[in-house]
Amino acid sequence: MTISSQAEQPTSVLLVDDHPMVQDGLTACLSYYQDIEIIGSTQDGKSALTQALALRPDVILMDISMPDMNGIDATEIITEQLPDTKILIFSMHDSLEFVNSAMQAGASGYILKDTGSAEVYLAIKAVASGKIHFSPSIATALLENPLREEQEKLTTREQMVLALIAQGLSSKEVAKKLDISFRTVEAHRRNIKTKLQLESLAELIRYAVNHGLVDS
Amino acid sequence: MILPIRLFYIAVIQVILTSIVIYFFVSSEYRELSHNNLQILESFLINQKKQELKNYTSLASAAIKHIHPEAKPEEKSKQVAIQNLINKLLYNGDDGYFFAYDDQGISIAHPKEPNRVGESWWDLENDEGDKIIQLLISNAKAGGDFLHYQWRKPSNQKILSKMSYSTYLHDWQWMLGTGVYLDDVNQQLAVIQEEIDQHINNTKQIILIISLSSIFIIFLFGLIINLNHKKKADKKINELGQKIINLQEEQHRHVSRELHDGIVQILVSVQYSIEATGIFLTQSKNEKPKPLTEAEKNLKVAIQEIRRISHHLHPRVLDELGLSAAIAGLAKEFSKQTKIEVSLTKPKLSKLLPDDINISLYRVVQESLINIEKHAQATHVTIDLSVKNKWLTLAITDNGIGFNGSKKNKTGAPFASFGIGLRNLTERIEYHCGQLKVCTSQEGTSIIAIIPSHVFSHYYNNNQKHANTYNTDKMSSSTLAK
Repeated sequence: MTISSQAEQPTSVLLVDDHPMVQDGLTACLSYYQDIEIIGSTQDGKSALTQALALRPDVILMDISMPDMNGIDATEIITEQLPDTKILIFSMHDSLEFVNSAMQAGASGYILKDTGSAEVYLAIKAVASGKIHFSPSIATALLENPLREEQEKLTTREQMVLALIAQGLSSKEVAKKLDISFRTVEAHRRNIKTKLQLESLAELIRYAVNHGLVDS
Repeated sequence: MILPIRLFYIAVIQVILTSIVIYFFVSSEYRELSHNNLQILESFLINQKKQELKNYTSLASAAIKHIHPEAKPEEKSKQVAIQNLINKLLYNGDDGYFFAYDDQGISIAHPKEPNRVGESWWDLENDEGDKIIQLLISNAKAGGDFLHYQWRKPSNQKILSKMSYSTYLHDWQWMLGTGVYLDDVNQQLAVIQEEIDQHINNTKQIILIISLSSIFIIFLFGLIINLNHKKKADKKINELGQKIINLQEEQHRHVSRELHDGIVQILVSVQYSIEATGIFLTQSKNEKPKPLTEAEKNLKVAIQEIRRISHHLHPRVLDELGLSAAIAGLAKEFSKQTKIEVSLTKPKLSKLLPDDINISLYRVVQESLINIEKHAQATHVTIDLSVKNKWLTLAITDNGIGFNGSKKNKTGAPFASFGIGLRNLTERIEYHCGQLKVCTSQEGTSIIAIIPSHVFSHYYNNNQKHANTYNTDKMSSSTLAK
């Protein structure tokens, strides 16, 4: 472990964790690294987006279990709006389902909370430089059970879009309702059709009704 | 409405007592009434007979007077003529006849016993010791009267009660009489008596039928009420049981959350503080003390332990990612532990189900996998979760030896040990308006839970509304950010 001193442009980090004590502890540890700057912290998924939009951090250190909106759903919404912001999941959950979902939502890495600050530092730097990073134990587990075609499952956002479409909203209305661009909605729509292997709008609606996504 | 069994007994006893009282009252009233009627009828019939006898006798004496207006008892020819007349005056078949005696008791005419004629029967007695001829003559002399006695009935040669009327022919100084046998009166009365008895019997039967049917109706009513009540009570007990289970799950979830999101997080923060201390010490060229390293190590163990307990109480993945992911995690863990292959199909949507259904289905999978590990000797398990045609279906199928196979298996646990688990799960699924079916054979076992989609179809939408409120919040804040 070496303390880096090359302070051209420190990596800006936003901490999202519902436990202030963890934030404090981590901040204390990371304060020894000069090339990392913690520019803000927030305690739930809801305010994470606001903060992210306001502060534009390079990396968001995101917890999963939080009140209001969990870190995975927040990740999806943030990456939708801020494609340049890297999100590093920072959680106590070590099961691969969480890793799968997080990666599907657009996270760039997944580290466990009990791994130690040096590991956190390395992960932040790796993710900021555009790499994918996992905690060693997760990487080991992933070697045994590689991420399979998890992709066919709809993400939370895609499911939301599907429900809105099934309720009769047009892509434009969906875009307005979710405060995202028309193109993003169209992209979601294409993804949904590919994943569900459905062609027409009628099929999408029937699928949604059949699954109890909308009241029939 | 609850009707205790004691109340039924009281009602039944009441019915029985009432029936008995009514029976005795009605039958005694009836008997008394019919007795009075019989007496009236009897005296009426007797009077009728008496009138008849009087009429016959007066007819006969009138006929005698008409033929022989002058009485000449000593003239034999006239006597024979009258004898012939009397012998021919027959009525009622063989049983109605006239007889005549002079005042010495010598028989003048007797169409049924002609051998008597000419002899004196003054001292003739019947079985009771009554001197019948004397009595008849004295009645006749007194102006005519009736006499009851026992006499042989010509038509059937039986000694029967007879009523005779005798009158006195003064010109001839003869007693002329005739009589009727009263057996037909008695017979008539007996027939009526029998009819009355029959009526009373009928009444008795009717009362019996009414009371029996009343008792039956009371029992039926009671049975229906009790069954109904039992059904309701069972349902309530079942609901209560499910409530307790839900409460327990809720509590487990709560404790699990407290441990995972509370205590563990605090411990993690302590861990970082210790680490920061370590870094500080290293930077200020001090050696990191051994107890600090120990503390760090032990803290890691503590965190692992608490997480294990938390996971055991309630799988957090269920709340965060939904049922599919939780089942996938369960399946992976199971495969790793038992080396039994699990293939899983799951819907492409998630978070469709409310928490209580989620945890129930999760427990179905958990229990099934435990059973498979313990008893089934399977090499492959298929878990299929799907929503189709308004039904959610969860099927866990193994290729093991089935329940019966494991019953025979000496090393396996008894059948009942996983019967109870399955029964509890059945109740849990039924609580969600669903069904749990178990198909088992020597080729394997399937446990299939189905739940109608109307039970959960509102859930996602409600959550969606929650998300929408979030979106409006976010919209305003994002405009603020710009």
